[in-house]
Order: sequence, then structure tokens, then C-alpha cells
Amino acid sequence: MVITIDHVSVEAFKDETILEVARRTGHSIPSLCYAKESAHKSSCMVCAVKNCDNGQIIPSCTTLPVEGMHIETDSDEVRLVRTISLELLLSDHRADCDAPCIMVCPQGLNIERMLHFYDGGHFEEAYAVLDAAFLLPQIACDTCKAPCEKVCRRGTIDQPVSIRTIIREIAAKAYPVSPEGGKKGWKLDKNRFQSRIGRFTEKESLSLKANINTSSNCLHCTCAGQTGCRLRLFATEAGIKRSRYESYSALPAMQKIHVSGKLWFEQAKCIRCGLCVYNSEDGFTFKGRGFGMQVVIPEESKSNIEEEMAGLCPTGALYVLEK
Amino acid sequence: MACTCDTTKVETNEEMITRVDAIIDRIGKTRDVVIPLLQALQQEFSYLSSTAVERIYERTEIDRAQLISVSTFYSQFRHIPYGKHLIKVCTGTACHVKGAGNVYDSFIRELKIEKDSITTPDKLFSIEKIACLGCCTLAPVVQIDEKIYGHVLPGKVNEVIEDFLLLQGDIEKEETEHARRKIAGEIRLGMGSCCQASGSSDIYKELQSASTQLGIQVNIKPVGCVGVCNKVPLIDVVLPDGSITRYPKVKASEIKEILHHHFKPAGYLSRLKNNFLNHVDTFHTDVTWDNVIWKSEHERTGVIDTFLTGQKHISTEGFGFLAPLNIDEYIAHSGFDALKKVLTTYDRKEVVSTILKSGIRGRGGGGFTTGKKWEIVASSLNKEKYVICNGDEGDPGAFMDRMMLESYPYRVIEGMIIAGYAVGANKGIFYIRAEYPLAVTRIRAALQLCREYNLIGENIAGSNFSFDVSIFEGAGAFVCGEETALIASIEGERGFPKQRPPYPAVEGLHGKPTLVNNVETLSQISYIINKGSDQYSQIGTTGSKGTKVFALAGKIRFGGLIEVPMGITLNQIINDIGGGVEGDEKLKAVQIGGPSGGCIPAHLCDMQVDFDAFNQLGAMMGSGGLVVLSESDCMVDMARYFLSFTCDQSCGKCTFCRVGIRRMLDILDKLCSGKAEMSDIDMLEQLALNVKKASLCGLGKTAPNPVLTTLKYFRDEYEEHVKGICKTGTCKGMIKYVVSDACIGCTRCAKACPVDAIPYTPYEVHTIDTDKCVLCGLCVNECKYDAIHKVPLRSI
Repeated sequence: MVITIDHVSVEAFKDETILEVARRTGHSIPSLCYAKESAHKSSCMVCAVKNCDNGQIIPSCTTLPVEGMHIETDSDEVRLVRTISLELLLSDHRADCDAPCIMVCPQGLNIERMLHFYDGGHFEEAYAVLDAAFLLPQIACDTCKAPCEKVCRRGTIDQPVSIRTIIREIAAKAYPVSPEGGKKGWKLDKNRFQSRIGRFTEKESLSLKANINTSSNCLHCTCAGQTGCRLRLFATEAGIKRSRYESYSALPAMQKIHVSGKLWFEQAKCIRCGLCVYNSEDGFTFKGRGFGMQVVIPEESKSNIEEEMAGLCPTGALYVLEK
Repeated sequence: MACTCDTTKVETNEEMITRVDAIIDRIGKTRDVVIPLLQALQQEFSYLSSTAVERIYERTEIDRAQLISVSTFYSQFRHIPYGKHLIKVCTGTACHVKGAGNVYDSFIRELKIEKDSITTPDKLFSIEKIACLGCCTLAPVVQIDEKIYGHVLPGKVNEVIEDFLLLQGDIEKEETEHARRKIAGEIRLGMGSCCQASGSSDIYKELQSASTQLGIQVNIKPVGCVGVCNKVPLIDVVLPDGSITRYPKVKASEIKEILHHHFKPAGYLSRLKNNFLNHVDTFHTDVTWDNVIWKSEHERTGVIDTFLTGQKHISTEGFGFLAPLNIDEYIAHSGFDALKKVLTTYDRKEVVSTILKSGIRGRGGGGFTTGKKWEIVASSLNKEKYVICNGDEGDPGAFMDRMMLESYPYRVIEGMIIAGYAVGANKGIFYIRAEYPLAVTRIRAALQLCREYNLIGENIAGSNFSFDVSIFEGAGAFVCGEETALIASIEGERGFPKQRPPYPAVEGLHGKPTLVNNVETLSQISYIINKGSDQYSQIGTTGSKGTKVFALAGKIRFGGLIEVPMGITLNQIINDIGGGVEGDEKLKAVQIGGPSGGCIPAHLCDMQVDFDAFNQLGAMMGSGGLVVLSESDCMVDMARYFLSFTCDQSCGKCTFCRVGIRRMLDILDKLCSGKAEMSDIDMLEQLALNVKKASLCGLGKTAPNPVLTTLKYFRDEYEEHVKGICKTGTCKGMIKYVVSDACIGCTRCAKACPVDAIPYTPYEVHTIDTDKCVLCGLCVNECKYDAIHKVPLRSI
């Protein structure tokens, strides 16, 4: 079957969707809710293209081509639909890509990562992170006014994390540097899109205060699933700085649920594409409808979920937490 | 002693499980029965208790994932126990424009229901807003359990509660005392302004004195005007079994006889029947259900000349004399002739081509050519096919499908059987929304009678065609009016629409070709067959044939259900049939098609009723709600109202509908509270256009229409709102109430104020504390000196 994509005639094979034809023939179309080998249903509309024969905007990831179809993948109209779709998803996405402390550290210390190791009792790795950023970790922050503590999200709940005290504590012990810790030259890429959690609601504050009791007190704002996050990737590509729409969500921010093994689930980062729902048996499920619709995992069904599920999630909502 | 409590509890649990088991055994254990199963459980226990739910996991194929996903999708299902009585505040379009929001707030205040709760602390009442009760001419309407109250004013809420409790008290007292005689019944008397003008006040007095005199214990209940104005005074006698008998044009002198007729032993009754009231039987109606039915009654007995001008009855043929469930009567009036005609003289193709030639288009909203749909289903070689009658009428302000299912069940059934024959299907399903219990009862009874008459079942009417029909009750989701979502819900899934193609006509229920037609579409089929496609296609315009039933409501003098030929103008409907705008106000716009439709401004109301013409204006026929708006209605608020409905009803699957509509609503909220900027209007428009473009199903694609049409025709109002002005005073964030010098300090307002915003200062000009004031307007209604006025917060 022959169809036309952006004025070029291309061959479409049997059972291929428009997205698959387009990608195979060198057109780049973003997509979030699509997964090649797994069950998926169109929902995100980030893969929108235009069917020029009837003027309709269609999801390319599930639409099958018909003979002679004319598809447009790169017009202003199509790009606007994709951008708005991303902005809408981001307006409902209450999460930080990188923790605020990291953003403001003049020395580029990956504070959250250091605290992550610290909270896990992995002091050597924590020291390594510190060592990667400072020549002399022992006097690292002595002259700094600690903007990290000023922006610390924990501070909006009760007390900011005493980052400098903890750094001194780690530095004082001068552990041997563990290779598993920080990499030399780690640098925050400020050109990438940064999602922002915004203010906690009163309810969230209370619940976070009560439930997050790490030894450092750190909330660990940095998104643990950011490496595979396509939402951030496409938002960066689309040049989005922040969503133009009012941002709030019906989902609780920062509620991290342990699923099984190393698998964790954070609802607020979910874009409700349903990939984990369609691909698990009596596992993840939708709850409610409309704007408040959530993806949930009932306690009793957690054991039905494999760690590999994290690979399907297009955002950092479902992630594997290493050491 | 504590252990006694425990044992009781254990026993209750076991008992409960036994009851749950019985229900599971009755309904089934497969995944596709989840909705009927949950409905049955809820009916038994009033909510879905965890015990019942756990038992489902244990004994059926239904797992947690499915149950959670389904039970939280449909609004019918409750997960927490409710109070003893349930108050449903109708927030349909007509009720909204008449102030349902204030009524709801008043109930919350009056019942002292706490924030974030819906139940009173003593668990006596729960309250919820519901999309539409379908009593639009009685707006604002409230239903408490089975009792419906019309024209409920915010200030009268306490009276409604008292009346209800009094009634309950009576019932309970009667029950506890094991009284020999229950309340004999109820007499309802129209007491609208037109009824009173016709002398219903005298009738009311006569009813009271006669019932006392005769010692008959009846409730005499004045009810609002329903528009049957040339038949008033009109009374309904309601017996304890719920049956209603209607007496139009009663005279005071007849009252005693009527009371005797109904409330005396049978011997006396038959005696009377022979020598009196023969004519009464002409108007004698069937067993019916509360005064919702008043509406469909109105269709049969409402014989106002002007109201009838320009109407044409096809779907409602038989109006005025057909008793809904009397199958013999229907047959005597050439009912099922069309079915017999096609079974004996037509082959399937001829039926399809007749329907195709008639030009009829689907009445559900989209306006797809019905014959085409039939053709596609008929062309499939698949042996198993389905016909579904879509009775999931969810538009607030539309109730024509309900009326047809309730009043003309056989006509719809006949249309369905013909459709089944034409497309080669052997199974039909009525999908009827949960809020229409009477429609379900009627259709069920009608189907039973049809079965007895061999009109459904094996070898219908001696032919070799077999067709069986079942009923599926919807569970409360507007999106299920969309055919793929409807099918998903019959299959026991969330009502998520599926991407089309494949269309249900090709691959529908259980993957089989499925014909989904609206109730009204099916009700027109027998006419087309009987009279021929030519005669049918003579009615209407080039692109839209036949008639359309509308629910006419809002600021209109005579509201109600009307059936008009396509091509009639909106002005004709409003002025000739509806008697013009209520209260001699000026017409501002007509909202057509409910949340998927749009507002057509007054200057365009000379347009003809036509699918394509509406679409061109950015509105759509929808299922046929027609709400008349006057100069005192705010268009921005109107847009917000519809959007909040669609936002609530969005299934949540695709981004544009789930988040896009919410963000549009955010902007509208800002506009209505005077906090928006000019750029917000453009942002709203851009977002609306893209939601329309990129949503995946009809709900999302049409949801922006109310916004886009009001932006198109009333943009100046949006701009005024940015400046902080709502001329109509509808948007609460922009007005305040002030007391003028005309005040004499009578303290009526101070007493009426539910939040004590008006200090009790006798003989002094009253003041209103704007911080406390909730803008309910009670003080304005109370003031005898016209001293309290709504003024804009900012000056114009």
C-alpha cells in the first residue's frame, strides 16, 4: 500500500500503523503512550498527525493507513497540537525533574544523590558524590550562603534539610572514594526542560511531614525515573519552558509507593497512558474518571507486577530504584 | 456482654455473604456481568460494601483490577453508606438557569452538612447533584427519595425538608401504630399562575373541605404549572400503589364525586362509574410513577391549541389516547403493521433501501444517515449481529428518549425488530440509563407482552425470522451515549470509547457487526414503512428529513416536549409553540444540543431546524435539548456550566479531553470570578479549538462547542467579564447586594438571611456585610420595599 507522508510517497506494510511507517521512512514523530511490542491504546495525542484527506487530527500510533492517504507530520498546526498536548500533560504533572537544591548549588554538587546514599547508609558512595564536586570536600561549603537550604522543599513543610551539616559529617569521615558514587564532571544540563512541583497543598504537607522520615529528612525531589523520561525529552524538543496553563493535579505529589522488588510507583508523575494497566494482569488499574482519573495498584495485586514494567512507563512514574 | 455484640456482627456478616451469594448465583460469575452484578448488590445493600466486594473476588472471574476500574467509573456506584434519605438536586440546564446552585447551597446550609461531606452528621440525609431529572418545566427541581419537589426556592428549602419529614413521620407513625388505614392517597393540583387564574384556588379549598367532610385522609398537594394550560384546573389522584388518574377541567362541584370514586369501597366505585364520570376514563391513565411522568402525560393530554401549532407527531403518534402498555390498543391503531408488512412482503434489501430512501438521519446527535448504517451492518456476512437501542440519554435538559421509552414502548420495539430483520441480526439490546427506572420497567413489561404475542422470539409472527431482545441498564456515564463506549460498558468494561475505524457497524459488541440506533430514530421506522419513504421524505428540509422531538425548557412560557417537522424555524418554536420568552423578557439566545451543542443568538433564530445548518453555526442537533435564554442569562456562565458538566463526565482517556477541558474550565472560572486578563480569552479560544480537533471521541470533540459559540457571538460579554462586569449579575464573584434608602428597617431580610450577614436593626436602614454574604438572594425575595439590589462590585 502506498501513502504520502509530508508529500513523499512511501510504502506501508501490512499491519503497520502510520507512526511505524513514518518512523521507518525517516520521519520523527514523538509518542508517549505507544509501545511497539505491547498492548497500547491512543491517549496522549503527542503523536498527532493530520490526515489531509479529511482535515482531521489523528493519533498516528494506532491509526492504520489506507491506500492513497495523505499525512502531514510537521506542519505548524500539527506541532501546535503536540505542544498543547505536552503542556496539558505537564500542567497535571506535579513533580520536579531535578531537586531545587541541585539547581542552585554554585558548585554543581548533586546534593540529592549524595543524600540518597546517605539515607541508605551508603556513606562511601555519598562521599564519592561529594568528592566529585569538590577538590577539598572537608571545607566544601564553609564559605557558601547555602542557597540549597533556602530552596529546600522540606523547608516549606517544617525545617529544611541541614545540608551543610550533613556534608560536614560525610566529609569528616573521609571515606575511600567508591566508584559507584558520583561521576567526575557530572553537570546539571540546564538546557533540558525542568518540571516544577509548585507548592504543596496543606494536605500534602501534613502527609509528607508524617510519612517521610529519612535520616537526613530529605524528600528526594529529584525524579528517580528521569533517565527514561520521554515527557521531558519531548518537552525539551518542543522548546517548552513551562506550561501556560494553570498547574495543579488531582493526584497527590511525591507519594512514592513500593510495588515489588526494586519497583516503585509515583502517581503524580503518571500521564495515565495506561500502558501498565493494559499490560498487567490483575495489577495496575484505572480508578475514577475524567481529570481525577488515577492509575492505582491495589495492595493485594502488587505481587502480580514484574520489575520490567518500569521499562514501559514513558515518564518517571514507574521506576526501578537502585541502591 | 460484649461478646453478644461480636456474635451479632459475625452473624450479620454471614447473612450478608449469603445474600451476596444468592445474587452472584442469580446474575452470573463471568467478567461481562460486572455491571449488572454491582447494580444488584447496590440495590440490596444500598452501597458496595467491602464484604460484598471481597466475595465477588472469591466467587467470580471478576478481579480487583476490573472491579475497581468499573465501579469507580460509573457514577451510580457508591462506596460509602449514604444517609437514610437521598436528596438529589437537579442541575440540568433548565434548573441551572433558574438557580439550582443556590438551592443546593441552601440544602447544605439548612442541613448543616459539613464541608467535603455529603451526609448530615445524624446520617438522615445525603445530598448529591444529579445531571437531569427531566422535569425541566418545573425547574428548579429536587428529588428526595421518590418524592419530587418542583420550583424549589432557596428560601423554601426548609419547608421542603419539613414537608418531607412530615410525610415520613406520617408514614412511620402509621406503620408503627399498625394503623388500620394508611393514608388513602394524594391529590395533586396544578397551582401555577395559569392554573390559579382558571380557578384552581377554589378547587383547592373545595378539596380540603370535602376531604374533611367525607373523612377521607388524603394529602392535597399543590404542584407547579406544567403548561397544559387549556385543560386546567387539572387534578391528579394518586393512590398508594402509585397509580395516577388525571382529571382535566374539573369543577368544584365534581370534587366530592371524584373523592368518592377513588377512596370508597369497590361496590360504590362501580356504581358511580356507571352513572357518572364516563368521560373521565378518556383521560384515565395507566399506573405511573410520581410526577416525572407528568411530563409524558402532558404529551398525551396537553392539548393546547398553540402548543400544537406546527407540531407533527411521528415518534409520538397516538399521543393523547394510547395507553403505554396496552398492546392490543397499539395493535388496533395499526401497531406492528409495519413489522408484519416487512416480514411478509419485503426482503431485507428492500427494507434497507426504503430507510435509505427516506433520508432519515440518526437522532442521537451526530446525524449519520441511518440507512447507510443499516446497509453496512446488512452487508456483513457474519451470522451473529446485534441491534442496540441507545437509550443512554445523558444530556442535561433532554428527556425525549425517556418519554418515548415510557410512553411509546411498542413503537420503539417495533422499530428495533424491523431493524433486526433488515440487517440480519437476531439479538437486540435496549441500553437504558440508570436514572430511568420507569423506562426500564415499561420496556421490560412491553417485551414480555410482545413475547406472549410472538412478536419477539422464535419465528416472529409465523415468519422464519427470530429475534430476541434484552435490557441492559446503564450505570451513570454520559460518555456511554457514544456507541463504542456503550458497547464497552455492555462488555463489562469502563466506558472508554474505542478508536474508530473499525466502526461498530463492522466490528462492535463482542467483535460482531452491531447496529446502534437512538431511541427516537427507531421510533420513526414504523412510520416510514407504513407510509412509504416518499411521504416521509416530504417532511423536512433537503438534508434533514422527518420530525424531531425537542425538550423545550428554560425561560419559555410553555415548556415541554414537542415534536416538530425539520425545517421549522427556531422562532416558530419559541413564539408559536412555546408562547414566547417567559416574563416578557427579550430573547437572547437558544442553547441547542446540550453540552455538545452551542448557543444560537437571537438574531439567527429565524434559521430552520436542520442538522447541517446547526453544524454550520457551531452548534449541533445533539439529542434535542432546547433551552431558551433571556437577557438576564449570562453567556459566560452558560459556557462554564456546560463545560463543568463535560469535565465531570469526561472518561479520562485522552489528554485533550481529560486535561484540556479542565484547563478551559479553569480559565472560565477565572473569567467568572473577575480575575482573568484579556489574553486569557485568546488562550481559551486556542485551547478550545485544539480540544475540538484533537480529542479522540465525540464527547471531547464537541465539548468546546458551548465555549466556541459563545465566544463567536458574545465575545463582548467575555471582555466585560475581564473588566469585572457581569451585566446579568449571574457571576457571583462580581456582584454584591446593597440596601437602598427605600429600606424602612422591617427586619424581614435580617430574619431571612441564612448566614447572618444582615444585622438585626429594627427601624434602621439595614446593612449587608459583604464578607459574610453568600449572595443567595433570599433577602431580595423577602424585601417588600424593593430596597435590596444586586450591583456590580466594579462600576460599569
